[in-house]
Amino acid sequence: MRLTKTMRLTAMAACAALAISACSTSSGDKKSSDQASGGSGKTGGSISVQLGEPQNGLVPQNTAESEGTQVLHGLFAGLVEYDNKTNEPKLRMAESIETTDSTVWTIKLKDGYTFHNGEKVTAQNYVDAWNYGANQDNAQQALPFFDKILGSDELAPGKDKKPTAKELKGLKVVDDKTFTVTLKAPFSQFKTMLGYNAFYPLPKAFFTDPKAFDDAPIGNGPFQMDGKWQHNQQIKVKRYDNFPAADGKAKLDSVTFKIYDKLETAYNDLRADNIQITNKLPISAMATVAQEFGDRYIYKPEASVGYLGFPIATNPAFAKADLRKAISMAIDRDAITKTIFSGTRKPADDFVSPIVPGYRQGACGDACKYDPAKAKELFTQAGGLPGNKLEIGYNADGGHKEWIEAVGNQLKNNLGIDVTFKPFEKFGKILDALGKKEYTGAFRMAWSMDYPSIEDYLRPIFSKIAIDNGSNYGGYVNEDFEALLAKADSAKTDAEGLKLYQQADDILLKDLPYIPVYTYMSSAAYTKTVKNVVVDAQNRIDLANVELA
Amino acid sequence: MGRYVVRRVIQAIPVILGATFLIYALVFLLPGDPIQALAGERRADPTVVAMLHNRYHLDDPFFLQYWHYLVGLFQGDFGEDYRGNAVVDVMTRAFPYTINLALTALVIEMVVGVVAGVIAALRRGRFIDNLVLISTLMVISIPTFVIGFVLQLLLGVKLHTDYGIDFFPVSFNEDAGFRAYLLPAYVLASTSLAYIARLTRTSLIEVMRADYVRTAVAKGLSPLRVVVRHGLRNALIPIVTFLGMDLGSLMGGAVITEGIFNIPGIGHQLFQSVYLRERTIVVGVVSALVLVYLFTNLVVDLLYAVLDPRIRYE
Repeated sequence: MRLTKTMRLTAMAACAALAISACSTSSGDKKSSDQASGGSGKTGGSISVQLGEPQNGLVPQNTAESEGTQVLHGLFAGLVEYDNKTNEPKLRMAESIETTDSTVWTIKLKDGYTFHNGEKVTAQNYVDAWNYGANQDNAQQALPFFDKILGSDELAPGKDKKPTAKELKGLKVVDDKTFTVTLKAPFSQFKTMLGYNAFYPLPKAFFTDPKAFDDAPIGNGPFQMDGKWQHNQQIKVKRYDNFPAADGKAKLDSVTFKIYDKLETAYNDLRADNIQITNKLPISAMATVAQEFGDRYIYKPEASVGYLGFPIATNPAFAKADLRKAISMAIDRDAITKTIFSGTRKPADDFVSPIVPGYRQGACGDACKYDPAKAKELFTQAGGLPGNKLEIGYNADGGHKEWIEAVGNQLKNNLGIDVTFKPFEKFGKILDALGKKEYTGAFRMAWSMDYPSIEDYLRPIFSKIAIDNGSNYGGYVNEDFEALLAKADSAKTDAEGLKLYQQADDILLKDLPYIPVYTYMSSAAYTKTVKNVVVDAQNRIDLANVELA
Repeated sequence: MGRYVVRRVIQAIPVILGATFLIYALVFLLPGDPIQALAGERRADPTVVAMLHNRYHLDDPFFLQYWHYLVGLFQGDFGEDYRGNAVVDVMTRAFPYTINLALTALVIEMVVGVVAGVIAALRRGRFIDNLVLISTLMVISIPTFVIGFVLQLLLGVKLHTDYGIDFFPVSFNEDAGFRAYLLPAYVLASTSLAYIARLTRTSLIEVMRADYVRTAVAKGLSPLRVVVRHGLRNALIPIVTFLGMDLGSLMGGAVITEGIFNIPGIGHQLFQSVYLRERTIVVGVVSALVLVYLFTNLVVDLLYAVLDPRIRYE
């Protein structure tokens, strides 16, 4: 869910650029959690909310960025959804999801769900959708999410090869309301993963004309499309009245996603009450938003973590864990989050975001505590860096210059090394350069989950498989870590799994393949016209519950 | 005259071909994989990347890719972007907004600019002249995006929230109809408007000193007729040149204004497409803009003959 995130990150770098102190204010926890669940408001009414142009057509299996995800969140209902406060998975369209060995999963569907064209949602709809997403011929962005299911290799054999099957072996429809999923190997987090939009069902109508679906998807969620997506302008949705009442029908009559290119423009529209909710604020608003919107300004931790990364595999200078630890200890995280980000970020003390079950406060221990004297000592012991030089790369389009330079200056002063900076046009360029080994310096890195599981902060960025098929840009490999992940995957209970994942996290904290620097906060605001506005950990607005005030 | 027009149109063909080649080559040379750009900060799945590369011939050598594009072009097919949308659809969706905006801006700068220039020239050295000179100087020296944001805040937000007047939409809103274009068109036109006012003023002052104007006055013509028929008509030649060039830049250069007022036009589209390396869209849009330039240039040249009978095209 990245591309448009850049914009959000820019927004949050806000205070950095302008050095505005009001950003932090006292908003903190008071209004951090939702103001939802207040009284039974009226039903009906129409509102507009801010959106950026989604990157791909509105097919759940082809959407992997925040804007499309926001729209799909209203149009579809998945098997599982996440609690807005705790981020624990809870059943939504599924009546039950059961397993005895974390390998074979039996999923039973609830009654009463229909697609917006009247078609009943059955087990077959899920199986068809997943088969479609898993087939490389369809080139869907969410392809890698299906690779845990038995038979995925036949549907996605890789470059220059042809799929040899059309259906995943691991999916079996038992009856209209039941299907089973067999995984290649045990994976205890599978249920949590099912809330991700790649696992939404598709109606029969999709397969007769997939292209038409891009602009006018037919979902099974509380809202349905009202006309087609008007590109660069708006997407209109209206309440779907046949949505099961027990599961929370939408309260509003309709919602218009107004598509903006500039956050400043959206914010001006918000102030004029032309739109009612925005979940991304521009740099220029950070100084005054708390004052202007009072308790209608939502400010809470979100899913992303910011790191400093090292190309361990390609540059032997960074091979020693102690050296990375020394660099970590020479970074004054408090100063950076306070003075550069004016409190819109928090110092990181784990590889895992604080909002995810399994996060442990202070897990990083001394390695993430600022101690310049010890850092220097450790740095010298570890042999320092060749030529006493360090280069840090960052993407110049995301407001990272300030904090990267601040980190650089701290390292310069505390370790006595020469630090240079290398801006790249965008993040993809750093990845290109790292991949081709044209760039071997340290780099700025961030990660946000796709589903709220501690596993999603470990495997996609630090596992062996993620070197080619994921985001392990540093090339870190540790067999103990791999073994613990595998063990955690086959855990019988969530609690047991969680403990094992935490042990895997401990290995990372010891090795520090990346240095966790800060975690992000999300900010949103809404006008007096609406109430019950809740923004979840993935920064999606929970539109079904919004009411007119 | 007819032969002249035909010759100009034929001359336009190599220009357009050259333009598509240049733009195609330039976008091709931009570093970065367009398929990776679609995936943003996450590394795109290698299998998906390979599939899409195959589908859009991205691994072919440059000339082969350009050849594919040209063949399509001669069959009237502008190709599709990397998300499977036809470029023609993208352009026909975006162009009407930009044309509306550019024409509104052109009318504003023409009417306001020329009128202000004429008044200033006729009242040379007086208060109104100084007012025009100073205000235009200010407009020229303030960057467009500042003017845009300030007017958006004052007329869009403040007028609405503080005085309850909801006349200028903060951002583009199709329901507001023509009103939606007024503020952005003014912002877009502001710099050119200032130039036109100054150009008209200087040019008219110059012309009013000419012998034939003195003759016209001596003949006893009404002052209005002297200014409009004899003065302004001759003073307009540099202004028409300026306006002709400006229509092209109003259409292609509206990136900032379209961004501020969220108008889903061609500038907006072009910016996004360059960022995402959408080669086919960039080439299509830029070629269309080249056409606009060529056409307005031709119209300007023909207008010279209308304004100044001494100029003939054979």
